[in-house]
Parts: sequence; structure tokens; C-alpha cells
Amino acid sequence: MWIGTAAHAEVPVFTLEIRDHLFYPSLLVIPAGTKVKLIVLNRDTTPEEFESYELNREKVIMGGAKATIFIGPLAPGDYPFFGEFNPKTAQGLIRAED
Amino acid sequence: MIISLLLALSRQISLNHRWILVAMVIGILGSWLLAYYAYAIAEALEGVGQELLNATLYSAVILSAILLSLHVIPLSMSASKRAFSERRPNFFQPALYSMLVITVSCSVAREGSEIWIYVSGFLYDPGALQSAMIGGAIGAGIGMSLGAIAYYLFVFMPKKIFLPFFLVTVTLVVGGLSMQVAKQFMQIGWLESAAPMWDSSFLVSEQSWLGELLYALLGYDASPSMTQGAFYLAAIMPTISGVLWHVLHRRENNND
Repeated sequence: MWIGTAAHAEVPVFTLEIRDHLFYPSLLVIPAGTKVKLIVLNRDTTPEEFESYELNREKVIMGGAKATIFIGPLAPGDYPFFGEFNPKTAQGLIRAED
Repeated sequence: MIISLLLALSRQISLNHRWILVAMVIGILGSWLLAYYAYAIAEALEGVGQELLNATLYSAVILSAILLSLHVIPLSMSASKRAFSERRPNFFQPALYSMLVITVSCSVAREGSEIWIYVSGFLYDPGALQSAMIGGAIGAGIGMSLGAIAYYLFVFMPKKIFLPFFLVTVTLVVGGLSMQVAKQFMQIGWLESAAPMWDSSFLVSEQSWLGELLYALLGYDASPSMTQGAFYLAAIMPTISGVLWHVLHRRENNND
């Protein structure tokens, strides 16, 4: 149990929020080469799907719900993501930097 | 695609088509339940419920599709040698029907639940709901037309060609699904993502129409990770081994 906690403590956590079908922040800078825990809070009442081809991730997040998505380790670069249910407005970018 | 293929298979090996009704009813009911309890499912098991459920549904489809393929291998071998009618499907029939039902109902339940959730987002906005429904109806129409065309193409194929074609396609679909299982585990941090083995997005981007089509048909992934590759190999191995075993076995029999 203690080992598990210690291992988890090494994973940096970043938070994204969905409000009015938009992502806040729309640009998230994370360290390259590290596994990262992404917490997505959907503040809207409607469901959204966090999706990214570049990150190889997709997850439905119900209205008012919180989702956890692990990403990386990533090579330095830009990784766009979008809300599949509102793809025109809900756009964002994760930037992995050394 | 998978539904057209399985329907064509059951026509080609002279099975009763009634299983599709059972599978669709279970699938649609299941998809509605999954959507209705989506919030509870997502919150379950410290927030990994959605991924674990997806992985379970994908695995059920993979397993039953592999068992179906293993059943088709001897049929496809004998079809190429002598008249197919001499060999009736010798597999335990209820098991065969169960596999067909499991494959289709689990696929429909998983994909369908996302449609319910998507539509539920528009329930409070009648204007948007209408355009979403029209868009959805057009999409469903295109999908069903393609499915119908595929079905008739498969049904009119000679058995000698259809059965090997079935094996290859189902194996590719199973491989694609197994990468989805790996993806679910990587998403919840249970498996390491590592670097992608390659990136073929310059060739076929997942956002392009061809990429979307390949994803829908075969689970195309432009930048799969090593973990996904391992899952892919594990999923296609049983069918490949089955084919090899039958080829060697037949050669031995011929030598006797």
C-alpha cells in the first residue's frame, strides 16, 4: 500500500475544466518524457467526450462528472485534443516540453 | 461491418437468421442501460469503471469472434477441397448461436451507449437536438447502406472465397479491438503507454475519411504503442495457429 502511494506520488497531476463546451485552459504545458495524470472536470450539465488522436485517448465524461486520464510519457511536441460532442468549439492543446 | 459479415456467414453456412433479432434486442437494451448508469459506472472502482467495462465488452467480442473463426477454419479448408455440402457445420449449434449473439450484442451495446449519451446532451435544447438527430439519421443511413452492400457482396461470394475472406477480416477486426483493450488499460494507468512503435499519420491520418473508415472497419491506429502491438499479436495468434495446424494436419493425412 505504501509503495503504491509512493509510486502514485511521482505522477504529476494536471487539471482541465469544461465550461460552456470549451476547455480551460485551452493550452496545457506538461513535462515531456513523464507519465502524467490528467483530471478533467465537466462543469457543464451535458456530457462530453475528451478525444485526441495524437494522444491516443478518448473518454466520455458525463455532465458534472470528473474523469481521470493517464497520458504519456510523451516526446516533446504539441498534442491537440477536442470534445467529440462539440468538436467545433471544444478544442485544446497539450504541449509537452523538456 | 461485423454484423454484415456474421449475417453473411450464417447464410453461407445455412444457419437460421433469428439470432440477429435476439442480439439486436439485447444490444440495444444493454446500450440504454449502460448510458442510463453511465455516471455510476464512470465513478465506480475509483473512476476506472468506464474503461474496465469497455475492456470487458471488447474482450467478450474478441473471444467469441476467435471461437467463431476456429470453427470456420475446418469448413474453409474442406470447401476448397471438395463440395461444401458434404460437410455440414458439426459444431454444437447452441454454442455457435451464442457466439454470434455475444459478438453482435456486446458490439451494439458499447457503440450504442455512446449514441444515447450523445443524444441525451441535446435533450434540453430542441433546436440542437433536431439538427443532431438529422445528422445522426444521415450517418445511420449511410452506415446501414454500406452494411447492406457489404452483406450482399459477401452473400454472393462463392463459399470457397468467402470463408477465407471471413477469417482474414475477422482476425483483423479482432486485432483492432485488442488494441482498444490495451488502450483502456493505458488510459487508467494500469499499463505503460511507452512511445508509439511508429506513426503512420503522414500516410493515413486518423482524422481523414480513410482513417475514420479504417478505424471503424479494422480499428486502425496511426501510432500504436508497443503494448498495443503485444495485444494485437496475442489476439491474432489463435486463428493463425489454427490455420497452420489444419494445413499441417491435412498435409500429414495426404501423405498417409
